[in-house]
Amino acid sequence: MVMCTPAQWPDAPGAAAREQAAANAPTPQPADLGPVGLRQAEHDRWLRRQRLQRRLHDGASLQISALVPQLGVVRKRLSDDEYDLRLSIDDLQDQLHAVLQELREIAREIYPPLLDQAGLGPALCEFANHVAVPLHVVAPAERFCLAVEGAAYFAITDCLALLDARGPPAEVVLRRDGEVLDIVLDGVPARHAVEILNHVRGVGGQVDVVEASGSGRIQVRIPCE
Amino acid sequence: MRVALAEDGALFREGLLMLLEAAGHEVIGSTADGNALVDLLDTEPADVAILDIRMPPGPDGGLVTAERLRTLHADMGLLFLSHYAESHYLMRILQIGTESIGYRLKEKVGSVDVLSDTLARIQAGEIVIEPVLAKRLIERPRGEKKGAIESLSPRELDVLRLMAEGRSNNGIAAQLFVTPKAVEKHIAGIFGKLQLAEDATEHHRRVLAVLTYLRAQRDED
Repeated sequence: MVMCTPAQWPDAPGAAAREQAAANAPTPQPADLGPVGLRQAEHDRWLRRQRLQRRLHDGASLQISALVPQLGVVRKRLSDDEYDLRLSIDDLQDQLHAVLQELREIAREIYPPLLDQAGLGPALCEFANHVAVPLHVVAPAERFCLAVEGAAYFAITDCLALLDARGPPAEVVLRRDGEVLDIVLDGVPARHAVEILNHVRGVGGQVDVVEASGSGRIQVRIPCE
Repeated sequence: MRVALAEDGALFREGLLMLLEAAGHEVIGSTADGNALVDLLDTEPADVAILDIRMPPGPDGGLVTAERLRTLHADMGLLFLSHYAESHYLMRILQIGTESIGYRLKEKVGSVDVLSDTLARIQAGEIVIEPVLAKRLIERPRGEKKGAIESLSPRELDVLRLMAEGRSNNGIAAQLFVTPKAVEKHIAGIFGKLQLAEDATEHHRRVLAVLTYLRAQRDED
């Protein structure tokens, strides 16, 4: 098993050149937030996304939905010979449905409503209905904190979305291990570990890789209270 | 038909109220949350109650309210109108009941005809599921029943998809441009391949056939 934490992860291409340039430049002084400050910053970031998604639902989406029955009332008032107008209203209603579908997709990309309402298990099962690769999900019903759920969801789904529909089936198993959310991804090539790490390092996550022939296993551990 | 309505979005509630009245239904009352709906139905009977899912009390208050309503008024139909068509909610809805129940997108019941048809089917005891959701579930069978589902012919799959939308044999026949007799034959084929017990009633087996897909999905939760 290879242990990969941010400090131990192999250099990305071009990293050596950037390191050299960085060595010659004056040493930057990053604001040191410390682990508690970092966790707070991550929480705020996810909270912002969650609020945007809710606003989209409670605001624009609901307003557009409300137009549809109103159009239906107008259509009902038309006389039988106004056939063209009826068709125009049907068409407008179809267009509003298309707009709402687009808003649903955007909401899902900001912060999936089902993740917000029901947690990682239901959100990942729903994702399994959409993704190309055959996917099996095992997850507990319990909820984790906002930033952990957000980071874990996008780490898993961004990675699985890249897999080939004709490839071997993938499996995601989530469980709580003390104060850690333990995620095991089976049937996922090891090269995806870097992207997963990018998603979870902000919440203190670590990524381990086991490479098997063809497809491998990636284990993600994220601290949670 | 006598209907009651609970929806926390005032704009959509008002719009739907107008459409229900335009369709000639008697709206016995509309509320902004589930508890108020339960109180309302305590004194005023209704044929179908229309509920939002995401509304008070709680994050999915519509489901909690519907469970109470099914216990209090077993014969009353329940129609969920939601902004999202998710299989997660469908599972929970079918746990509340598999008769006289429906789940549709808010903007897909926007005409007098569709709204009245949906309500009438629910009142007649059917399950009405948003077609796009029924289609998605049937095209992506999962779990242990996948093998049985894969053994169905393309025509049988068409029939099962329309059954999942809650359609009658005549309705399926009209959609597929075949005779009701042919539909019966396909349904018998589906029951056989999914190994559904012959002693159950026709309606019961129809529901079981649909649930076979859905249960395979729920096993993963």
